[in-house]
Amino acid sequence: MTAAAIFIWAVVAVLAVFVWRRAGTAGLTGAGRDALGTGRMLAFRLPFALLAASFLVQVVPVAALSHVIGPASGLLGIVLAGLIGGLLPGGPMTSFPIAIVFLQGGAGIPQMVALIAGWSVFALHRMLAYEAPIMGWRFVGLRLASCAVLPVLAGLIAEAILLAFGLGDLQLL
Amino acid sequence: MKLARTDLVFMGLAIGTGTLCYLRRGGEAVLSSAAEAGILFLQILPQLAAGLLIGGLVTRLVSREKVAAMLGGSSGIRRLLVATLAGALTPGGPFTSFPMVYALWIAGADAGALITFIASWSLLGFNRLIVWELPLLGVEFTAIRFLACLPLPIVAGLIARWMTRFAVLRLDRPAE
Repeated sequence: MTAAAIFIWAVVAVLAVFVWRRAGTAGLTGAGRDALGTGRMLAFRLPFALLAASFLVQVVPVAALSHVIGPASGLLGIVLAGLIGGLLPGGPMTSFPIAIVFLQGGAGIPQMVALIAGWSVFALHRMLAYEAPIMGWRFVGLRLASCAVLPVLAGLIAEAILLAFGLGDLQLL
Repeated sequence: MKLARTDLVFMGLAIGTGTLCYLRRGGEAVLSSAAEAGILFLQILPQLAAGLLIGGLVTRLVSREKVAAMLGGSSGIRRLLVATLAGALTPGGPFTSFPMVYALWIAGADAGALITFIASWSLLGFNRLIVWELPLLGVEFTAIRFLACLPLPIVAGLIARWMTRFAVLRLDRPAE
């Protein structure tokens, strides 16, 4: 957690230097204003999103679902996890907190990779709210057809990575 | 404070799921869930702030015109590699990325490059990785997931190109 925080703020510092060298103080205040604008938009939504995710995992049978996509569930578990991921509601605000609960509930790592990939690629909410209105349904259809196998591939590659590095029994949480 | 419709949706979601939680699990479960959500909120706050700043800074460095110029061609695997890189570096939510994809489409990018871009933005997006995945799921998981997904945008782009050879799936460039 702290290593990640240090890394991120280091990235912020490096980018800030680049922007400062190109656009000076005006560039920095502009970037800050952008960040503040998005932040203000999230300030109200995010707490409610986290609350909803937290309540949801109390109601949804996560334990049973986690078992279905456990480390021993293999290819079938990977396929199911990709589908579950595609059905996770909302943006990263709600889906990542739900993903944590799956991981804590005993889901396997390749299955979790497929779940996140499934959510990333299919994200129903995003498709309805942004992609279809902007790009049209024909494009959406072509994109879905092209991306359908990606979550399964992601899960299988993750399994291969775990095997290759001898991490078969890696515990994350 | 002005409330957007999305805000009300999230508020409604929280109230709805909270009520369901109370009915099924009782008041204690509601309180402990709320406390958990509060702790999570405090934990992600510093990273979230950093992620927002990164989004603001990157948009000062990479212009939309520049990206369109790089992806404006049609074929070749190099375009797909560029699309992967551009997608991974594009900050912000779908409200910024899809208008950008549409602009690329009009500018002349082919279906393969567009789909590679979207797949890369959603699977490899640096911004979301930093703001959400690293703090919530940890460095090990994030590294494994990122590596496993690294080649996939190209795969999606190649599949899309192959599919558009069939008349049913051919895409016409939108009229400007």
